[in-house]
Amino acid sequence: MHNQLAELINKNVLGASAVVNKTEDAKTHASITVEASAIYKVAEFLKTNTEMPFNALQAVSGVDYLEYIEVCYIMGHFDMNAPRDLILKVKITDRVNGNVDSIVKLYPAANFQERECYDMFGIKFNNHPDHRRILCPDDWEGFPLRKDYIAQKTYNGMEVFPDSKSNMEDREYIVRQGMIKKAQEGAANKVQ
Amino acid sequence: MQSRWDIGEPERPTINAETEQLKSELLRLNMGPQHPATHGVLRIEIWTDSEIVAHAIPHLGYLHRCMEKHTENLDYRGIIPFVDRLDYIAAMSMEWGYAMAVEKMLGTEVPRRAELLRILTGELQRIASHLMAFGTYALDLGAFTPFLYAFEMREKILRLFEEVSGARLLYNYIWIGGVWNDWTDEQLNRVTAFCDEMEEEAKKYHELVSMNKIFIERTANVGVFTVQDCFDYGATGPVLRGSGHKWDLRKNMPYSLYSEFDFDIPVGIAEVGVVGDCWNRYIVRMKEVIESIKIIRQVQAKLEPGSIMGKVPKIIKLPKGEIFMRSECPRGELGLHLVSEGPEAKTPYRLKVKSPCFTHVSMLPHAAPGQMIADFVATVGSIDIVLGEVDR
Amino acid sequence: MNTQTHETSSVRDYFSALYDGVTTTIKGMWITFRYVWGVKSVSIEYPEVREVLPERARMRLFNDSQNCISCTQCAMACPVDCIYIASEKKPEGTEIKKTSNGQPIRLTLTQFVIDTALCCYCGLCTTVCPTECLTHSHDYEFSQYTIDAMKYDYLAPDVMAWRDRIVKS
Repeated sequence: MHNQLAELINKNVLGASAVVNKTEDAKTHASITVEASAIYKVAEFLKTNTEMPFNALQAVSGVDYLEYIEVCYIMGHFDMNAPRDLILKVKITDRVNGNVDSIVKLYPAANFQERECYDMFGIKFNNHPDHRRILCPDDWEGFPLRKDYIAQKTYNGMEVFPDSKSNMEDREYIVRQGMIKKAQEGAANKVQ
Repeated sequence: MQSRWDIGEPERPTINAETEQLKSELLRLNMGPQHPATHGVLRIEIWTDSEIVAHAIPHLGYLHRCMEKHTENLDYRGIIPFVDRLDYIAAMSMEWGYAMAVEKMLGTEVPRRAELLRILTGELQRIASHLMAFGTYALDLGAFTPFLYAFEMREKILRLFEEVSGARLLYNYIWIGGVWNDWTDEQLNRVTAFCDEMEEEAKKYHELVSMNKIFIERTANVGVFTVQDCFDYGATGPVLRGSGHKWDLRKNMPYSLYSEFDFDIPVGIAEVGVVGDCWNRYIVRMKEVIESIKIIRQVQAKLEPGSIMGKVPKIIKLPKGEIFMRSECPRGELGLHLVSEGPEAKTPYRLKVKSPCFTHVSMLPHAAPGQMIADFVATVGSIDIVLGEVDR
Repeated sequence: MNTQTHETSSVRDYFSALYDGVTTTIKGMWITFRYVWGVKSVSIEYPEVREVLPERARMRLFNDSQNCISCTQCAMACPVDCIYIASEKKPEGTEIKKTSNGQPIRLTLTQFVIDTALCCYCGLCTTVCPTECLTHSHDYEFSQYTIDAMKYDYLAPDVMAWRDRIVKS
């Protein structure tokens, strides 16, 4: 299904350059990666074509791979005759000003989903009608689901994770057991 | 930084010529975060023109617990208690969806008895969740008594779950590879008794609430979602079925052993109002209770003694890749996008939860304009949100 | 998009709606009224009457420190990291005791603390315990004035009073 769909996209959308990410076994799902600049046209094609339409957008998810951030548009076709799923991906390499076209006009479901993706990964969606944070407060700094995220020290004059409220015994125990994960610092070094 | 209020003056809907003549300003009103009709800590900022809602803006995040970030530091078994706390009204269904996603990537085969027990608990949980929806919806509309009836029956399910898993709400019962404990014959007999009793009770509920004139006046023709709206917004579950579209994952993309079972998919019909209104969403839930009872009876006929736990390695390590697993929960489709880095990592690289309620909340700004405030409360109640799942 | 139909109501419609409203409400009232007689109440008067908990009920954790072999499997399995264990090697030549199911105790347990305020009662720690010394007891009334008081040190002498009640052997 993915090969056929990728061919269809390449034939009908200019500059999409759809590539199928194959899987080795049946345990995991395949996906299609397209150019970030062509996402609006690809989504329009997926919604309006007659051969393999997708009538619903289920989720917009992001995955941070440090070298690039991947935005996964998870489409679905809610039709009892031909139910199908698709993971459509775009890669964004710019971690500071990464942006991609919004598809809210095609799928209104993308409104909240894209806001969540912006909130968690800091990817800007162009032409989004209501481009704000959704789960975090509006004046929160940083994007929590990025791998190199470090929480801010103070928020609105309040201390984040104050020592007086944290469980010092827990912290001491973790230090003693050597269980602290250097993942965050390691990730930060990798980027710099 | 854009201020949270700076989103521009929304357009006023033209209700009729009379309101056009009156020069009035829109009143900005906060419904929530501690409003009883929002079923939790949802804040909806509504702009009203006297009694008529012009614009509704949901503000989420009051129950945001960074669950997705947490899971990146937990092993696959330790995530199950966290997944429980998403939809705390239907925790079994959440566990089941997560366990299926991991099992699919792991290639584990679940024993037949465990699968049947999962269906049994999943359907009992669906009944419990729909009873909660029924009770609180009536409560939203001002009827207190149905809430007590619903809780009386729900309590019986919770008691069964407590005996079998050890907890009343957050079970940690469905594990990767199977289920934790087996059901005894005595407990299964009580399930049979419960099913018989529930069928009788459902008739009572219909007389008490569904066919009540006041209830019909409050819900019929209110908050209509067309099928196209549902597709546009990605709505699933009773909301989509209430709009008249026959779509149920258990039937259309069968997972587990659902293909062996015989049951119907209730959809909304224009019985008292129009298809897709609040009454239809409500009645679809009540009909699903009956369908669940059908499934439970078939499960009991099929149950045979056997193993309840498949072969799972002690430390679970998933192959590199990703999966998007969908399962039919009481409130809609739960989708889990699980990304694994490779067999070296003991933790998931990313776990995105596509929660049905989050999708349904995004439909509220679309439904609100032109409604009365009381009708808006009815609409919010009819999509049956659980804030633990919306905010994650 | 809302179809709020305001039908042109005639007098006939008005009275039929009134009739429907009254009859269906009376029907519902009758169902409720039947609860006056004969229907047993389902609620219990809590502090005086207590429900018997099911055998598997997961309430406060209890560790029987005499049977613990300090394997730290429970601390590893805990998703919220609320179990703190420390142990040291026994000096050479000391007698190695055995647990009730025959496992040798090679380490001396020096700390076994569970922060009950953090615990999420998921039961994962009890399933990995090889000697079954960490169990969920049936105590559910243990509110405290401070968060620090929720930390239970299972090596403290006052726990021994619980032990006789909880550990059945």
